[in-house]
Amino acid sequence: MSKIKVENVSFVYSAGTPFEVKALDDVTIEIKENTITGIIGHTGSGKSTLVQMFNGLVKPMSGRILLDGEDIWEKPKSIGSVRYRVGLVMQYPEYQLFEDTVIEDISFGPKNMGLDPDEIKKRVLEACELVGLDFDMLSKSPFDLSGGQKRRAAIAGVMAMRPEVLVLDEPAAGLDPAGRNSIFDGIKRYADATGAAVIIVSHSMDDMAKYCDELVVLSHSKVAMFGNRKEVFSRSRELEAIGLGVPQITRLVMLLRDKGIEISPDIYTVDEAETALAALFGGGV
Amino acid sequence: MNSIALGQYYPSGSVMHRLDPRMKIILAIVYMVVSFLCNNVFSFVLLFLSAIALVLISRIPLKTVLRSIRAIMFIMIFTAVLNIFWTKGSPEELLISWGIIQIYSSGIYNAAFIAIRIFCMIIGTSIFLTYTTTPIQLTDALEQLLSPLKVLHIPVHEFAMMMTIALRFIPTIVEETEKIMSAQKARGADFTSGSLSKRAKALIPVLIPLFISAFRRAGELATAMTCRCYRGGKGRTKLNVLRFTYRDLIGVLMMAAFISGIVLLNIFAPGYSM
Repeated sequence: MSKIKVENVSFVYSAGTPFEVKALDDVTIEIKENTITGIIGHTGSGKSTLVQMFNGLVKPMSGRILLDGEDIWEKPKSIGSVRYRVGLVMQYPEYQLFEDTVIEDISFGPKNMGLDPDEIKKRVLEACELVGLDFDMLSKSPFDLSGGQKRRAAIAGVMAMRPEVLVLDEPAAGLDPAGRNSIFDGIKRYADATGAAVIIVSHSMDDMAKYCDELVVLSHSKVAMFGNRKEVFSRSRELEAIGLGVPQITRLVMLLRDKGIEISPDIYTVDEAETALAALFGGGV
Repeated sequence: MNSIALGQYYPSGSVMHRLDPRMKIILAIVYMVVSFLCNNVFSFVLLFLSAIALVLISRIPLKTVLRSIRAIMFIMIFTAVLNIFWTKGSPEELLISWGIIQIYSSGIYNAAFIAIRIFCMIIGTSIFLTYTTTPIQLTDALEQLLSPLKVLHIPVHEFAMMMTIALRFIPTIVEETEKIMSAQKARGADFTSGSLSKRAKALIPVLIPLFISAFRRAGELATAMTCRCYRGGKGRTKLNVLRFTYRDLIGVLMMAAFISGIVLLNIFAPGYSM
């Protein structure tokens, strides 16, 4: 079922001045429940503007954003409630930590929702478990944590609001591979535990291939491709023309096929490749 | 993000934009002084025409210029009204006498003069300085104009560098503020409703991360400057050397013609004088 529908949305920055920049041009996409949707595109392709529209931080200049079939801007006064239902983790969220302790910072969102203290505590602990943050970190100052821990604490702060839709803008930017995996695993755990619709923005094809079911490719403010993983990656030529390419492992599989090895072309992760190769050549893993 | 009218530089690429910024600073000061020289109807008309000419030469849309006037509209009207009521002229100039309120024709003249003077001063400075000169050009020019003060051991270069850095980081910090506000709004922070103290409190989640990142940035910038061997102004050369060209000479000549026009009108034009 579709959770969020973006209908013919356009947006222009600094309209009517010499600094005018088109950010989104007639964008129409659909985000499904129980699904992880990836949004890929280059810097300046309009990704960040689009994600800020899902929870009403940016109002489209034309077009509509439908959440459960209702236009979120129908009653602009109640946009606050949309922000609790659609949780947004912005880029480099660790720069938004401000409280004295980690637990207070993660509680900021739930507190604003007006929940009672027991419920807040429960949600905070749950969120920490999802992102893999040790409970003994909770009483520390957020500024004493490491970069990766800060990032996880900031993501937990949004997860603790238990949004129906979780939107993350470049959640793993600037982290090492171990940090990346731990962030993405946490997001996956949240999606599985709550059945929420999750939207991840990234420009790493490998991460997208590993975690996303659906993909939206943005190029020059427009939707270049939209569909499930298989549909999008099967158009590798077009992806390369946009300058994005396919995951490295998919490239390798294609090269193998060029050499005459009969391996399925729909392989997007190392694990899948491993299984397929084991099946082809026999032998265990 | 451009909603904050700080640094209203408007790139229309006119002749005015290409003038030497040092000269523009001087011309702006001279223009202000000249607006105080005017003392009769004819010289004020010339002053007003010159302001219009400045707008036309710099090719800034009228709408943009009027926006900067709107901010000082109140002061203009307030001082003009005060002048209408408070100017005491000779008895034959009395127009209306109504209880303690007496309005003289000289009062009306003065009110109009002062309104025009404020109007032209704002137009003049904003055309010469803010609309057609980038903040970086301004500090660069200021550094050179104030460089004689180095004799008195005033660290002119260091002040200019501080100003350049401050100006450079205004947009960055504005952007950062917007980002942090968005992030906290996404977590349900509300900056627009509630009592004043509640709203002030709501800014804490914005100010703390903002200060932390400002300090972090300052540290990083200092390191980056040290790595590039920055060691203050002594012996430092410039990438963009300011040059006085024929264009600037024409600017000076036009200003000189304008000043002589004002002075001549002040002396020879008939009618009421301030």
